[in-house]
Amino acid sequence: MAEDSLKPLFVERMKLILNDENDFKNYLKSLEKPPAKSIRCNTLKISPSELKKRLLEKGWKIRQPFKKHPEIMIIESELQPGELGRSMEHLLGYYYIQEIASMLPVISLGIKSGDVVLDLCSAPGSKTTQIAANMKNKGTIIANDVSVSRIKILASNLERCGVANAIITRKDGVALCKNIKKQFPELLFDKILVDAPCSGEGTLRSSQKTKFMWNIKTVKSLSKLQKMMFAAAFELLKPEGIIVYSTCTHAPEENEEVVDFALRNFEGKIKIEKPNLPSEMKFKEGLKEWNGKKYVEDVKYCCRIYPHDNDTDGFFISRFRRLK
Amino acid sequence: MKKLQLPLLKIFNEKEKQFIVEKLNKQFGVEELKGMLLKRGMDRIFLFSGSFNEKQIKKIESILPVERVGVYFAKLVKEKDGTESIRLSIEGTQILKDQIKKNIFEIPDSKTAEAWMKGRELNISTGKKGFLVMKYKDDFLGTGKASEEKITNFIPKSRRLKESSI
Repeated sequence: MAEDSLKPLFVERMKLILNDENDFKNYLKSLEKPPAKSIRCNTLKISPSELKKRLLEKGWKIRQPFKKHPEIMIIESELQPGELGRSMEHLLGYYYIQEIASMLPVISLGIKSGDVVLDLCSAPGSKTTQIAANMKNKGTIIANDVSVSRIKILASNLERCGVANAIITRKDGVALCKNIKKQFPELLFDKILVDAPCSGEGTLRSSQKTKFMWNIKTVKSLSKLQKMMFAAAFELLKPEGIIVYSTCTHAPEENEEVVDFALRNFEGKIKIEKPNLPSEMKFKEGLKEWNGKKYVEDVKYCCRIYPHDNDTDGFFISRFRRLK
Repeated sequence: MKKLQLPLLKIFNEKEKQFIVEKLNKQFGVEELKGMLLKRGMDRIFLFSGSFNEKQIKKIESILPVERVGVYFAKLVKEKDGTESIRLSIEGTQILKDQIKKNIFEIPDSKTAEAWMKGRELNISTGKKGFLVMKYKDDFLGTGKASEEKITNFIPKSRRLKESSI
């Protein structure tokens, strides 16, 4: 993607975020092509080895990039447009088409099968189906989203993947947390995923519309919403429970600023931890300052994932533990 | 303007669940069904395998708009003679695959399996009448309804193959 096809303010910000001329060049170059085609084997229905065998028989070239996660596969063959979504295996729910970076927040959560999990911004369901697979359809997931149309897609994806341990709710995320806290205070969660609505800067390779829609006002207003979401969700976490906050954007206002807010606001009750992601991937630490604002030292434990580092989309992941 | 209320969830009690299990046993040889059965409004039955009990689900429903609980599992279909039969969804057949022992139709070849997944009825005489679990190799492909000379297809549009790709 040529630099001049992007909004000048966005380019200026990315140069500052990456803070290295070569890195920035590599970043721009990575935008010229879509990320690797990746799928996640739905282990609720089929094992990675069986799925791999079937896909190889179709003539697809498969690579499993992570030793500890054989369910994650990259399709290296050239496919027809839409072929991944039209295959028998996809229709039967044997795999989910999911960008690799988007699989990382759930890996970071460290789900156990009996957990009670809140997925606050659940649609379209890629991460919810991944959570359910890790739970082997046990425990319970509250899968929430605010939009009626997105809920339909969520329900359809959960059905195709055979997710039987989820309760789908439709509510504004902050209001949902407040409702639960007020009216069902005994309901606390082992794990919470706040994969927050964001400006989507990390999806430029997959989605051209992001570059037209991007503007700094949205970044700032989303930052406020994200802080509110995190604060409301954190109140529902059990002691020793884990909350993962993630976005698919690079904007520090939507990432480190939210983490900084969380660590200051819940000081004494919260601890940030390393996200515990696959060792095969390359990550960068969180930014310690932005736009003259210094963040708390511990933002260094956040993970920034850039498209050019792993041939994925861009992502931001942070993981916290509730202390009491 | 008055807000549209979602109809309340109906959670099956033991007796109602047993009725479904007996039907499943009679039709497909299934002996056990783990989890909670629910429905809302119409005749679609959902299976919830999670850890929440009835009281917890009802509490959630009383404070939040609940769109769905569990996975669409089966439909209770009224026959012409007034009796009721179970039609399993694709997921229903996959969930019960290790227990289904009878009324299975083994699809003979990939071409027929492809036609089935495209939503076409199969012009095959099975010698049986009523619901059959459709199977091709290791894949469970939902339920069809056999009559004299054909098997009627219930694959929903969103799950159909659009072109040859198996």
